[in-house]
Amino acid sequence: MVTYDGDAHQPPTPRAGFVSRYLGSTDHKTIGLQYLCLALFSVFLGMAMSMVMRIHLVWPGAHTPFLSALGDTPERYATLPLLHGSLMVFFVLTAAPQLGFGNYLLPLQIGAREMAFPVLNLCSFWASVASLFGTAAAFLAAPQNGITIWIFSVSIFLAAALCSAINFSVTAIDLRAKGMTLPRLPLTVWAWLVNAILGTLIFSILLASCAGLLSDRLFSTHFFSAAHFLASQPANVAADPLPALWQRLFWFFAQAEVYVAMLPCFGIVSHLIATFSRKPVWKERLVVLALCAVGLVGFCVWGQHMFSSGLNPFSPLVFSVLAASLGVPATILLVSWFVTLWNAPIRFNTSLLFALGFVSLFLSGGLSGVFLAGQHFASTSGSENFIVGHFHLVMGVAATFAILSALFFWFPKLFGRRLNESLGKTHFWLTFAGVYCVFMPMHWLGLVSQSVKNAGADPSSIAAWIVPASSFITAGIFITIFAQGIFLFNFLWTLLRGERIQEDNPWRATTLEWSVGSPPPADNFGEEEPAAHRGAYEFGVPGAAEDFIPQHIAPDRVAKAN
Amino acid sequence: MPGTIAPPDIELIIKDSRGGGGGGERPPDGGDDGNDGDFDRQRRKRPAPPRRFSTAIAIAMVSILMFFMALASAFLVLHHSSHVWVAVHLPRILWVNTAVLIGSSFVLERARGRLSLGDDLNFRKLWLVSSVMGFLFVAGQLVAWRQLAVQGVYIASNQASSFFYIFSGAHGVHLLGGVAALLFVLLHNFEKSQISVSLAAEIASYYWHFMDGLWMFLFALLYLGK
Repeated sequence: MVTYDGDAHQPPTPRAGFVSRYLGSTDHKTIGLQYLCLALFSVFLGMAMSMVMRIHLVWPGAHTPFLSALGDTPERYATLPLLHGSLMVFFVLTAAPQLGFGNYLLPLQIGAREMAFPVLNLCSFWASVASLFGTAAAFLAAPQNGITIWIFSVSIFLAAALCSAINFSVTAIDLRAKGMTLPRLPLTVWAWLVNAILGTLIFSILLASCAGLLSDRLFSTHFFSAAHFLASQPANVAADPLPALWQRLFWFFAQAEVYVAMLPCFGIVSHLIATFSRKPVWKERLVVLALCAVGLVGFCVWGQHMFSSGLNPFSPLVFSVLAASLGVPATILLVSWFVTLWNAPIRFNTSLLFALGFVSLFLSGGLSGVFLAGQHFASTSGSENFIVGHFHLVMGVAATFAILSALFFWFPKLFGRRLNESLGKTHFWLTFAGVYCVFMPMHWLGLVSQSVKNAGADPSSIAAWIVPASSFITAGIFITIFAQGIFLFNFLWTLLRGERIQEDNPWRATTLEWSVGSPPPADNFGEEEPAAHRGAYEFGVPGAAEDFIPQHIAPDRVAKAN
Repeated sequence: MPGTIAPPDIELIIKDSRGGGGGGERPPDGGDDGNDGDFDRQRRKRPAPPRRFSTAIAIAMVSILMFFMALASAFLVLHHSSHVWVAVHLPRILWVNTAVLIGSSFVLERARGRLSLGDDLNFRKLWLVSSVMGFLFVAGQLVAWRQLAVQGVYIASNQASSFFYIFSGAHGVHLLGGVAALLFVLLHNFEKSQISVSLAAEIASYYWHFMDGLWMFLFALLYLGK
């Protein structure tokens, strides 16, 4: 008697224990979810810190319960922005769009059953967790030791991010399913791939710099010591600017890190806008080139932050041109989003609203970036408020909007349930209004306080404006954080009680992750060997019965309109 | 009961058996679809391709190169901006170490040549020689550190000595990883492994030659930077 050979008749594998199922799982979906949890925890911790900072700015004498117990010293306050920044940049902006959604969706979208190196992936995740603990511990330790712990934690995170970047690149290059050629890759995958390659280049630069810093602190070497540098100069040049070696190495990393945070968001937003517009991405190939260009130019603009620190007089020109030339791929992306949306039969759901919010924030934040790309403005705007407003809008908040739009979009895939739309829309509008109320006045504050320094205007008349503006910003922070409470409630409530989706593909999307159940089976594609038969954005194909043709549908199986 | 077997079943069984009958019909990877036909009815689960290891090592090498380039650019900047740069007198044993490392690369290539001829015994012997030479290099580096320490030149003595210790230390750590890879190829049983011994040897040799070239670059930098 002949029987089918295969897994169908094998008994189901016994339920694994908690450790092997969650903590020690090498499954990319579990690790992706764990990264998202890590990011969610970090974002709320980071937000709490920003609130404490604002309270201190507006009511300097206020008693804050937790901080006062730690000894409310200026050093302690100075560690707050450091910790807020490192939590948000490393554990939210780097972790969520790339490591969280990327880990979960990259293998599914390219038709792979696993990442290229699952065990390495697991090690990277736990190294990131250790790094998060170290970063938080740095805050609690005494400032001198705290800095050493912080540098060490950042080094661990960088090593983990490097391993992840290698893992992502190899997965996207070598593990694509049959028929998943490069032109058929979804834009999300392109963005994750370009981002991973950029990551392998820049994370190792900061890792080398951290090695030097740690050596300075632990072995008393003098890589970055300004006093030692000045002592080694002849007396007549001591007044010249410092070589600012650390700043160069740091900004080599940090300017590109902006694009590490933004690139996956570009991919996610392009993907979502096409899906919700029910139209192919406008000039898809050009968008792919633009993503590659962002990665390439992003790698070359490090000197942009060095205008005020005495570089070779010609280099600012080069970096200005390079930084301004980032406008070209950015414009291509913007035009593609707008043309894709043009005349499209759009239904505004929360996911699309957040994607559009991203476009809005990216545009307004990017416009103030044009001023900063010019050497003269950047070197004179010593006031931090303008720059703080600029990079929060364009990098922090815009990327967070893209992460939220991705979460609302892929939540049914991740958990088989849909986030509540009314709560989601309330969350969106409050957040959208809140962040503009916070960061737009910061631009204005920066310009006003600069005009005091330049024009010698009467400081007291300006101060009358600055205090209410600062209070306004703090009120905006409270609204924004309140809105995140709505989100947290929506998230947890949906996870436990939310509306289950009726079909596996509620958005009628085309990419491979929607060809399987929601949530996907353990080996992603079950018995079927995944294959791609067409491009990622086949919407509105003439002659087809439906307005979309998923990638996994073979040409001879496309339902025809009668 | 032959009468119960339906033709489609036979087709599935044949496709399920690896290496047998018509199992290898699947067109090569990355090719565009010409005849997607009944491909998705195929039920065999594809293992991840072994070339992922080659890709990974190539990307990892670029990443390691960036790490050392960042340190090298720091070396050049500090060297040129410093008015009182105290040069390190590089110990002579470094020349011997360098020769040993270059020699190990040649031995490694000869070992791979033996492997391609199917001469497993000599492959293992030469491979072992190469690994031992790797250990000798690391030991020689430690001797160089010791000689500098006897002269009173420590990592914190001056910037040049800091760079010497950082460069040789970071390179040594990466090279020990290479030695581990060589020993893995020597000791691992590749019978049930996802990759063949020749591919593993090839990948390990890429990394080893890279470490070799990297050391020559760093040594030249330190020597000319005096």
